[in-house]
Amino acid sequence: MKTVIETKNLARVFGAGETRVTALDHVSITVKQGEFTAITGPSGSGKTTLLQLIGGLDEPDSGDVLLSGANIAQMSGAKLSDFRRDHIGFIFQSYNLIPVLSAEENIEYIMLLQGVPEKARKSRVREMLALVGLEGLGDRRPSNLSGGQQQRVAVARAMASKPDIILADEPTANLDSATGIALLEVMRDLNQQMNMTFVFSTHDYKIMDRADRLIHLEDGVVQLDEFRNS
Amino acid sequence: MLIFKLAIRNILRQRRRSVLTGLSMAGGYMLFVFSISLLEGSWSNVVDIFTLDQTGHVQIHKDDYAKRPKIYKTIADNAAVETLLNGHSEVSGWAPRAYSPALAYGGDKTSVAQIMGIDVTLEPTVTRIKQKVSEGTYFDDQPDADGYFKAMIGRGLANKLNLAVNDEIVLISAGADGSIANDVFVISAIVGNAASFDRFGVFLPLAVAQEFLAIGGDVHEYALLSRDKHDNERLAKDLQAVLPMLKVSPWQEIEATFYRTMQSDKQGNYFTMGLIVFIVFIGVLNTVLMSVLERTKEFGVLKSIGCRPSELVKLIFIETVMLATASILVGLVLIVPVIMWFTEVGLKLDLAVDMGGVVFDTMKGDFSAYVILMPMGFMLATAAVISLPPGLRAARILPREAMGSH
Repeated sequence: MKTVIETKNLARVFGAGETRVTALDHVSITVKQGEFTAITGPSGSGKTTLLQLIGGLDEPDSGDVLLSGANIAQMSGAKLSDFRRDHIGFIFQSYNLIPVLSAEENIEYIMLLQGVPEKARKSRVREMLALVGLEGLGDRRPSNLSGGQQQRVAVARAMASKPDIILADEPTANLDSATGIALLEVMRDLNQQMNMTFVFSTHDYKIMDRADRLIHLEDGVVQLDEFRNS
Repeated sequence: MLIFKLAIRNILRQRRRSVLTGLSMAGGYMLFVFSISLLEGSWSNVVDIFTLDQTGHVQIHKDDYAKRPKIYKTIADNAAVETLLNGHSEVSGWAPRAYSPALAYGGDKTSVAQIMGIDVTLEPTVTRIKQKVSEGTYFDDQPDADGYFKAMIGRGLANKLNLAVNDEIVLISAGADGSIANDVFVISAIVGNAASFDRFGVFLPLAVAQEFLAIGGDVHEYALLSRDKHDNERLAKDLQAVLPMLKVSPWQEIEATFYRTMQSDKQGNYFTMGLIVFIVFIGVLNTVLMSVLERTKEFGVLKSIGCRPSELVKLIFIETVMLATASILVGLVLIVPVIMWFTEVGLKLDLAVDMGGVVFDTMKGDFSAYVILMPMGFMLATAAVISLPPGLRAARILPREAMGSH
């Protein structure tokens, strides 16, 4: 399997002096295409920081992040934006949909940024809504959707641009247990049907149980890297 | 279209704030248009008054006659000039003139006077000379029963020499050939008033003036009107190109001092108006900045999903310009009837102003594409510029910080 994510000695420190916190301490991991990987660990262990560095939302103090062979730590500005747009899908803990856009439009927007023609965008939106089980709800604004539905829209948005990997930061944290598991099943189905690489953070054991691989972080250090179903 | 939908919905998020901001822009636009309409209307009125009173839109002279008039600086090849003027599609009227200073006698009184030889038929096609006749009748170029030719004199000269219609006036001047020119004329009309530019003028039929001044068939000046009064400078250039031996001048050169004064006044007014618009847009800037600050997290999300910094600048730009456009359209709908009324009817002044015998008693506006479009363009350009600081701020947002977690 092709390596899609590779971090080399990734380090990130926040603050200085007495407030200095080592969020990541020389983390090196490799993720292959099609993996369904959970990054686990207690609060403050560095899960979100690792995802943000992999996603190019933050810059490491040292180390490299290679996505499909490209070193994003050396990218900036429009080039990094374009890379994120075309290669990475994000799912956030608090959904982060654009409130003034409908579900359909939220999904469509990223394709607009990609320059996908309108007809193809509309078709892809319908396809995505069907994949996440939200047919008929496309015209609703986020405020008219439940938390679980909003997160499904977020999943569809992340998938819409046909990225190489999807990074999800505690995607089920704001959902009740049943809805969270249902969402994870959706992600799992997409992973299996489309061989899409998912890396998500969680500290929920029920969610961890559904991952193929667990990377456990504590104090910014990888304590455990375990393949479970492979 | 999605980006426009997003922009519109973002504008409508804080409806009350957007409406208030829009109203301030609409008010600014209305004030701008109204001020320019009055400014352009008033100056246009003044320009009409003096161009139709004497100057015309373009003048043709021999050499530097306009600056240093001498009786011998005459245009000799009249036929060629007149053929050209008659055939020019942009010239709506023209009139030849001859000038000379003179000494005027009325009874036992004397005064300096300015002889103005005019073509009795052509002059009214260029100036309002007929309307300026305040006493008597507009003259013709035929002698009366006693063989005297007619003259029309300015009010100032009539008062000074105590002359009335049908009185005789004696003129003494120097002919172009060095001879003494003197003759008696019968006053057929008194023109203008004591403040008119021609208050000491003596109008003679052109042929009579030419003979009196011994200049043969020559003239000193052609005054002409342009079909499009705003395009007179181009007409002057066109004519100059085909009349290289003569000097063709637009009224802006003939009345250079007035023109500079007018331009200074306009620039002063434009500056004031620009300042008002700037103040309006400081409020707009504040609104847009607030809107950007409120949406910091959203911009962070947009950047994280791959929105380029320039896309965010574009989004803020579209939002601001859209709001400005909507405000300007509202302002346009409200202001057009007002300036149309000012243009057609105008505001009666309590104190009428007499300008060279023409009474300026109504303040009028100007309703033209310039009056509507110039403030529109200025405000849209200002809106575009104003959108840049908030847009750049949005573009600089760091996704990690914007989403408030690490």
